[in-house]
Amino acid sequence: MNENLQHWYPVASSNDLPLRHVYQGQLWGRELAVWRADDGFVNVWENRCLHRGVRLSIGLNEGRELRCLYHGWRYANRTAGCTYIPAHPADAPARTICNNTYHAIEAHGLVWSSVEPMGDFAVPEALEGQETLALRPIPVKAAPELALKHAATYRFSADGSAANDTSVEAKEGGYVLLSADGAQMMLFVQPIDADRSVLRGVLINPTEDHLALLRYHNSGLSALRDVIESDAAKLPTPAAIEVSFSKVDADLAAMPERAKSGPKAELRVTVAQKWLASDGVMGFRLESLNEQLPTVQPGAHIDVHMPNGMSRQYSLTNGPGEQDHYTIGVKLEPKSRGGSECMHNAVQTGDVLAISAPRANFPLRRDATQTVLVAGGIGITPMLAMAQTLKAQNLPFQLHYFAQSEAHLSFRPILDDLGENLITHLGLSPDETGVALRNALASYDYAHHLYICGPGPMLEATRKIAGDQGWPEEAVHFEYFKNVNTIDDSSSFEVALARSALTLHVPAGKSILDVLQENGIETPSSCEQGACGTCLATVIEGEPDHQDVYLSDSEKASNSKILTCVSRSKSKRLVLDI
Amino acid sequence: MKLYDYELSGNCYKIRLFLSILNKSFETQTVDFYPGQEHKSPPMLALNPLGQLPIIEDEGKVLRDAQAILTYLAAKYDETGEWYPLQDPDRLGEVAQWLAFADGITGTASAARLHDGLFYDLDVEAARAGAHRLFRILDEHLWFAEQAGQSWICSGNHPTIADIACFPYVILSEEGGISRQDYPAIRRWCDRVKRIKGFIGMSGVFPTSAAA
Repeated sequence: MNENLQHWYPVASSNDLPLRHVYQGQLWGRELAVWRADDGFVNVWENRCLHRGVRLSIGLNEGRELRCLYHGWRYANRTAGCTYIPAHPADAPARTICNNTYHAIEAHGLVWSSVEPMGDFAVPEALEGQETLALRPIPVKAAPELALKHAATYRFSADGSAANDTSVEAKEGGYVLLSADGAQMMLFVQPIDADRSVLRGVLINPTEDHLALLRYHNSGLSALRDVIESDAAKLPTPAAIEVSFSKVDADLAAMPERAKSGPKAELRVTVAQKWLASDGVMGFRLESLNEQLPTVQPGAHIDVHMPNGMSRQYSLTNGPGEQDHYTIGVKLEPKSRGGSECMHNAVQTGDVLAISAPRANFPLRRDATQTVLVAGGIGITPMLAMAQTLKAQNLPFQLHYFAQSEAHLSFRPILDDLGENLITHLGLSPDETGVALRNALASYDYAHHLYICGPGPMLEATRKIAGDQGWPEEAVHFEYFKNVNTIDDSSSFEVALARSALTLHVPAGKSILDVLQENGIETPSSCEQGACGTCLATVIEGEPDHQDVYLSDSEKASNSKILTCVSRSKSKRLVLDI
Repeated sequence: MKLYDYELSGNCYKIRLFLSILNKSFETQTVDFYPGQEHKSPPMLALNPLGQLPIIEDEGKVLRDAQAILTYLAAKYDETGEWYPLQDPDRLGEVAQWLAFADGITGTASAARLHDGLFYDLDVEAARAGAHRLFRILDEHLWFAEQAGQSWICSGNHPTIADIACFPYVILSEEGGISRQDYPAIRRWCDRVKRIKGFIGMSGVFPTSAAA
């Protein structure tokens, strides 16, 4: 174990990271892809796509996501979680697909990182609270130890005149503190590899003319580099550091733990902000207590567990790469069973809530030549996430937002950014809504896709109009708030679990999910009313009695999938891949 | 206009790139540079006794040498007058200085690439060391240009043919075993070149993302 790996080193200058650029760095033999997202966050990632190992430093910094140039895999700002795989446009990538990241701290014009940090980053004492100026970094073909030895010989003066006597203080962790007639500088040696380094100087309380100082030290440090390199040339070149990379992330390689039954609440968040997002809709900005929040994909929802013991599903409105918080919108339902009433009245700013990780059961394709988003009322929330994703990628789309009035339009700042892509339809009667939808869906063409979220009747109407106007079922994607079908649970049947080698009897009055959970078969679930798709299982044999609103008609007809929380069996026996 | 062209040549790419930026149409005649060595054949030697590409024919005029062709195209077809600033002696001098520098890049980085890619028999280590020497100079120059708020090789707010002349063999350097990891200012300048309106790539030259 090399204890140097535990030190923090500067690995880039702040001005190495303009927007939409990927900087190529290295520390102790590990190549780094360093990029600043549009929100200012600095990402330090292992410089290879975990798909085929191509350098991410030749990838595309698209501001919120980094796209690998090889097969177009996209990774989110902050988490490095994969958000999109073009070869599987209709599917949401598994949350476990995540690039390897390193820590990153930006301070005093430098970006600092560490391979295996022991403890948090602390600014070197001499820099703390001081005005500083980071010098032009000077790469040196020499071992870090040799470069450090020579760093102590650097001589300079405060005003750029002839170099003065310099006092030297060597510091642990790869830098020296140099002082000459009142002026101070720190000279860091960034270890690139066994035989390569970078000299990074920082002036402390520099005099006014920065450009002159930068030029003065650039020529001084370049001369020092020449001395170091001629010295290094006399020594044998050390062998490059061998870095062993795990082929895949440990979480990916290991068998996942059996999922616990029921709705999950593995994350703790605080309500950082609660505001009226429109008439009757409360917005909540949720921030993690300590850890990085898991990657958000457009269309994802979370379970929120409320102080009153209930849990409800809410779509995230987050745009791509917005990974420092989750935002949800909650409409106060006049006939609230307690959920929205609790969120509106009981939950306050500063409260801690338990939530699940996001589930991407309503994934967005990014290969459509035209995307039509249709939102009714609070159905706008997943559409905002989708619209921002399409906008960020310059993909063609329209968002049709049906609401009662101007005052009912939620999340105005996001809407305002959508410009001409947003078309609002205010205060329309059901008939007028039908006309508007027929116009919006008039021109289906190959590779057009439609996404709908809204109240049940509007969703039904939109699906019907789309079907009538030639939209094939596979181009129509939808998410219901809830399942308003009356569930008929009068049947009884047998469920055979192919993987578990278990046959169970499902009596009238109980769901398949109930019976699975009673028998110790861990099955994830969320809404438990046939709307969200979390408890989806694969059918191997038998004819399901579908009662959900998640599957499309053709998916239902194929008899290959079932939502175990509400659907049952028409055949005496159902064989599931569980 | 006709360009005697070889797809994998960085010097031919300079011309294709600049004509694309100027939005000027042209035809190409493919020359079997490798392995056919057609550029050394008598008909080609009649056009260019040096036996090199690119060559253009334009309205009866035959012109060789990438930097010379860029100069000609800019002076004749660039309506903005920015790419080759004939009216500005300071900048014109800078352009000429960096066009000569581009020749140095061809002699080193391009030579290393010919060795690795097309099996030329030459001292590749010397070629690589020479390229690194030039890249250090260019990186330092571009770093201080950025400090002065300038984006391009020559002073002023508009790129010149010096940027076009230097870009191809810089961006293709890794095909000759020359990493650009030590040259962050060069890497940023490459992104800026890729964002010039009308930019096109070639084999081994990839696009970058849109500016923020």
